Amino acid sequence: MPIAAALKVLVVDDQNSVRQMTRITLEQIGVRHIHEAENGVQAMDTASTQPLDLIISDYNMPEMDGMELLRSVRGHPAARRIPFILVTGRGDRELVVKAAQAGANNYVVKPFTADILKTKIEQVVGRLS
Amino acid sequence: MTTLDQLKNTFFDECSEALQQIEGGLTDIRQGNGSDDTINAVFRSVHSVKGGAGIFGFDSLVGFAHVFETVLDAMRDGTLAPSPDIVDVLLPANDVLTDLISMSRAGEAIPADYGHESRAALERLLGKTEGDDHDGGDPAPADFEGLDFMPVMADQMDDMAGGPADGKQTYRIAFQPQPEMLRRGSEPLSIIRELQKLGTLTLTAETGKIPPLNEIEHDRPYVTWTGTLATEASREQIEEIFEFVAECEVEIALDQPVAPEPAPMPVAFAAPPAAEPPVASLPVHQAPSVAPVAPTPSIEPAEAAARPAVQKAAATTMRVEVEKIDRVVNMVGELVIAQAMLGQIVHNLPEDTSSRLTQILDEVIHHTRELKDSVMSMRAQAIGAVFQRMPRLVRELATKTGKKVQLEMHGENTEVDRSIIERLGDPLTHIIRNSIDHGIESPAARAAAGKNEEGTICLSAEHRGGRIVVEVRDDGGGIDPDRVLKKAREKGLVSPDAVLTEDEINNLIFMPGFSTAETISDISGRGVGMDVVRRNIQDVGGRITIKSERGRGMTLQLALPLTLAVMDGMVIKVSHETYVLPMSAIVECLRPSRSDIHNLVGGRGLLQLRGNLVPVVHLSDLLDMGVDNSESDERVVIIADAGDGTRLGIIVDELLGHQQVVVKSMEESYGAVPGVAGATILGNGRVALILDVEKLSELAVTQSYSFTGGRSRASEPALAS
Repeated sequence: MPIAAALKVLVVDDQNSVRQMTRITLEQIGVRHIHEAENGVQAMDTASTQPLDLIISDYNMPEMDGMELLRSVRGHPAARRIPFILVTGRGDRELVVKAAQAGANNYVVKPFTADILKTKIEQVVGRLS
Repeated sequence: MTTLDQLKNTFFDECSEALQQIEGGLTDIRQGNGSDDTINAVFRSVHSVKGGAGIFGFDSLVGFAHVFETVLDAMRDGTLAPSPDIVDVLLPANDVLTDLISMSRAGEAIPADYGHESRAALERLLGKTEGDDHDGGDPAPADFEGLDFMPVMADQMDDMAGGPADGKQTYRIAFQPQPEMLRRGSEPLSIIRELQKLGTLTLTAETGKIPPLNEIEHDRPYVTWTGTLATEASREQIEEIFEFVAECEVEIALDQPVAPEPAPMPVAFAAPPAAEPPVASLPVHQAPSVAPVAPTPSIEPAEAAARPAVQKAAATTMRVEVEKIDRVVNMVGELVIAQAMLGQIVHNLPEDTSSRLTQILDEVIHHTRELKDSVMSMRAQAIGAVFQRMPRLVRELATKTGKKVQLEMHGENTEVDRSIIERLGDPLTHIIRNSIDHGIESPAARAAAGKNEEGTICLSAEHRGGRIVVEVRDDGGGIDPDRVLKKAREKGLVSPDAVLTEDEINNLIFMPGFSTAETISDISGRGVGMDVVRRNIQDVGGRITIKSERGRGMTLQLALPLTLAVMDGMVIKVSHETYVLPMSAIVECLRPSRSDIHNLVGGRGLLQLRGNLVPVVHLSDLLDMGVDNSESDERVVIIADAGDGTRLGIIVDELLGHQQVVVKSMEESYGAVPGVAGATILGNGRVALILDVEKLSELAVTQSYSFTGGRSRASEPALAS
């Protein structure tokens, strides 16, 4: 059973406010190690150099969007095993299907509560304690 | 302020940026300059607003943004072709979005049907009828039905991307502690321990260099280490370990598998040679592990090479709190003062000691100047931030007044100091209101005058002669001098028998209490007149000038300083007083011969300058210092530009030099003193007043008007301290 406090999570979103809210939500779940990246390039940098247990990435970002990031992560030798949750907007069903095909492990629809996020994370990494 | 409030603020700041993006993008699309990228960027901005609004619980905002976004999405995938008609729906939609954001920010209750029309127009674009259920208002479904992800555990994912690697790479590491290392207290063992933490470490000690026992120095390392490290860590992480021990030769190389390591003497994790010189048998603390076979994917080096370039692109901007930059600005200011003091000391030293110092000081001055410029450029913002609000204003006012107005903007990228940008919004808004309300005529009147029915307001900004010049030009009716004069007489602003030039009449609109509108409209009649506009501009050290051509339009020109904190000044001396004149106002300095100056009464004169006559005045007279200027032989004349192109020669005793000065405001303590722009601290630690050339020029004019033969001008403030 993974321990929430030991999970190392990378939050990717170009909007600082959303990133911080996600951080707060994660902290409510008990996650203590939170990395942040404001775009795909930064995210790749972190994912390829830091030990991570989970990436939670927004889809809608300039330069490199969440899908492109997902593909880069899956193609990177050091990062490709990191579980990936894509954050999407409402009505993006098609996108979620594509994300699943590209190797995403789950998705979460904005806006999300701590409970929803926890459920999604647990579906990916196993029940948190 | 709670964290949540702070986050909301951050969100609203992001919204402002998004709105600018949207407005700019839509304008581009409307003018036919839009590309797919433009639509994408606009879409992304609206989407960001929606996403954030959802998170922070601004539901009305989410609902509207959703419909807006859906239209943009349709444009993105080509279902809707971008046409001016569509943009004409989108621009007002952006206005509604702007309103919703500002209402949300202010915490105001948003009427349920706010922006209803715009929303309906958007929905019509999507082919929906108004009664349709729009999904925007629905609560967000947290799940898409029927979509299930496998609960994928990290270790089950190996086959997902293909390839057998376990993510580890093997590095070949060789390091040789240098003699200084032990003497400085660093020890090789700690490096080995750190390396061990990163993965599977196999090290071999090369003991060949250990001398015979009697030659061993106890604080010299003789052992060199080579081996491999199989790790998921990056090269940087490995290098970091060695970073703190400079006295160590290190080689780290990504290894093609050299497995299993042929280890002639696999002594891993030995005790440090310092503590126990290597005569002793090297104790094995841990069995050496076999280096794992980890074929390194060949893409890695290529990727590593490509990454820095991408990284560079990503790191082009970052957010810094204004407060932090302001602190740097202040420090630069203090630095400039300290430097001036240092300069003074150096100046007073005997030449043999000072020459080298002067050289270095020059360099310091040069760097300080660059530092100042860099910091100022950090504070600078594109004036577009203010301009962005204007298209909407023009659209709204045009609709309200039933006039047709087109807004042209130039030079949006001109950079101006933040503090000025902040105070430019209101005056500009007011000027444009005035232009549309009073300047631009109704379509019928324009047609009758043979003009295009659509009036044009041109808003432009450019750097000109060390200042920023912002111009608002319209092709309306211009100022009607007769009406203005009549009004001014009615209000008692001008005496009935005064004869005024057209220029003087035009400038009457800047008088407090002047308003020509026959009826107070809700557009420009807000109790704020052009006098307030002028005061606002003057408060930031700017000037406003007006040019009007009856029947053809008018131009208001704002000349603003680049920055308010530090400026280039000319230090001058008059009698025993030292003053600073802003360099930006100085055209030239000269030492004319007596015969070039034609003296008039009261110490005034005219200077013959390359065929032109320039009025000259003694600064001491202007400031009423009570100095006798009758023997004015060895005097310097500074030709200054009063801002509107008129020249004034200012006679001073001495030029002390050109210097950067830090502007310290005196208004808080002394109120506004005409002719004084502020004060500064000079190199000798003394305070000098910074003069306002424009005001001096005005003083020169009014004083000569009121000249009555003596030097008694009690009404003028005495500035000599």
